[in-house]
Amino acid sequence: MLPVVLRTTLIIGMFCYFILLLVFLKKKALLLKYALLWIVAGVFLVLMVIFPDLLTWIKEIFGMVSNMNALFVMVLGFVVMILMALTSIASRQAVRIRTLVQTNAILEKRVRDLEKTKSSNNANDMEIY
Amino acid sequence: MHHAIPIGRSGQRMKILVIIPAYNEAENIENLINNINELCPYVDYLVVNDCSEDDTEEILHRIGASYMSNPVNLGIGGTVQGGYVYANKMGYDIAIQVDGDGQHDISYLKNLIEPIENEEADIVIGSRFIEKQGFQSSAGRRFGISFLSELIKVCTGIKVKDVTSGFRAVNREFIKIYANDYPQDYPEPEAIVAGVMYGGRIKEIPVKMGESAGGTSSINLWKSVYYMIKVSLAIIIRRISFGIRR
Repeated sequence: MLPVVLRTTLIIGMFCYFILLLVFLKKKALLLKYALLWIVAGVFLVLMVIFPDLLTWIKEIFGMVSNMNALFVMVLGFVVMILMALTSIASRQAVRIRTLVQTNAILEKRVRDLEKTKSSNNANDMEIY
Repeated sequence: MHHAIPIGRSGQRMKILVIIPAYNEAENIENLINNINELCPYVDYLVVNDCSEDDTEEILHRIGASYMSNPVNLGIGGTVQGGYVYANKMGYDIAIQVDGDGQHDISYLKNLIEPIENEEADIVIGSRFIEKQGFQSSAGRRFGISFLSELIKVCTGIKVKDVTSGFRAVNREFIKIYANDYPQDYPEPEAIVAGVMYGGRIKEIPVKMGESAGGTSSINLWKSVYYMIKVSLAIIIRRISFGIRR
């Protein structure tokens, strides 16, 4: 069993956590699809705190010594998952930025070339008149 | 000796683009462009300026060079790939990579083009280790290069001696492939593996290279260790992600 004091602290902590998530989502500072993992992790932890038997059950499945250990391992697992998701998001964005930079560079060159031919055409027109 | 304008099997004149990735090459770039114009007037060239901090862009602008500029720094992989994207868009038949630092001798361009013209190869790599002429690099580097060369042989069954050479030519098909999928960071050895995995025929031809004219290449121990690990891993992952095709 988790000590009552710890359970209370965790509940308050989780409450703040969800408020924070909500604020971020409302401000659109966090896309819902990226927040999903955070929400799932939060819900899991809340369930563990409210129904300690669930935690005991998980503890026994994995052969862990104490409930606290089980809780910490789970939190760690979620954090690692979220970090991996972040790295993958950052990598995907790097690819997108690269494509944008290349496209932009090509467009800039084509515009510059167009302007050059246009201004030389204008110069030719001036000579005629 | 004059080389005729390259003509493909279909009898049409081939459109050739020389891609020159350039990062802080103010000292060498003008010379290089003059060389290309003089020695190979039948090719187009495109300098891809990777957000240089020196006067590279000003020089390119002043001499009216054909260039494009990355608005942010992409590194060598993204820069070269940008050139391939351009070549693909403009319908070039052959693209040739030449380093912006002037270490590649432009008079070898026609040798790089020939195997593609004759349809003997899809990718042609200019190698300094076949005739062992010109600058041969330091012993440590040669060791690293031969290690990567062996690794590529194990992974793909193809032996390429100068795996880090950035002096290479590819045909239309591989312009398209590299425009879509070109390795990043330290791309040269990995690009060979990618080439083989996409079914390309690779040919190495002898060239002479000079020492990189300007700029200091960082021969830092930790950097070399990082380079070897990163590139080896990239080669292995590249090989695995293609599965058993060959």
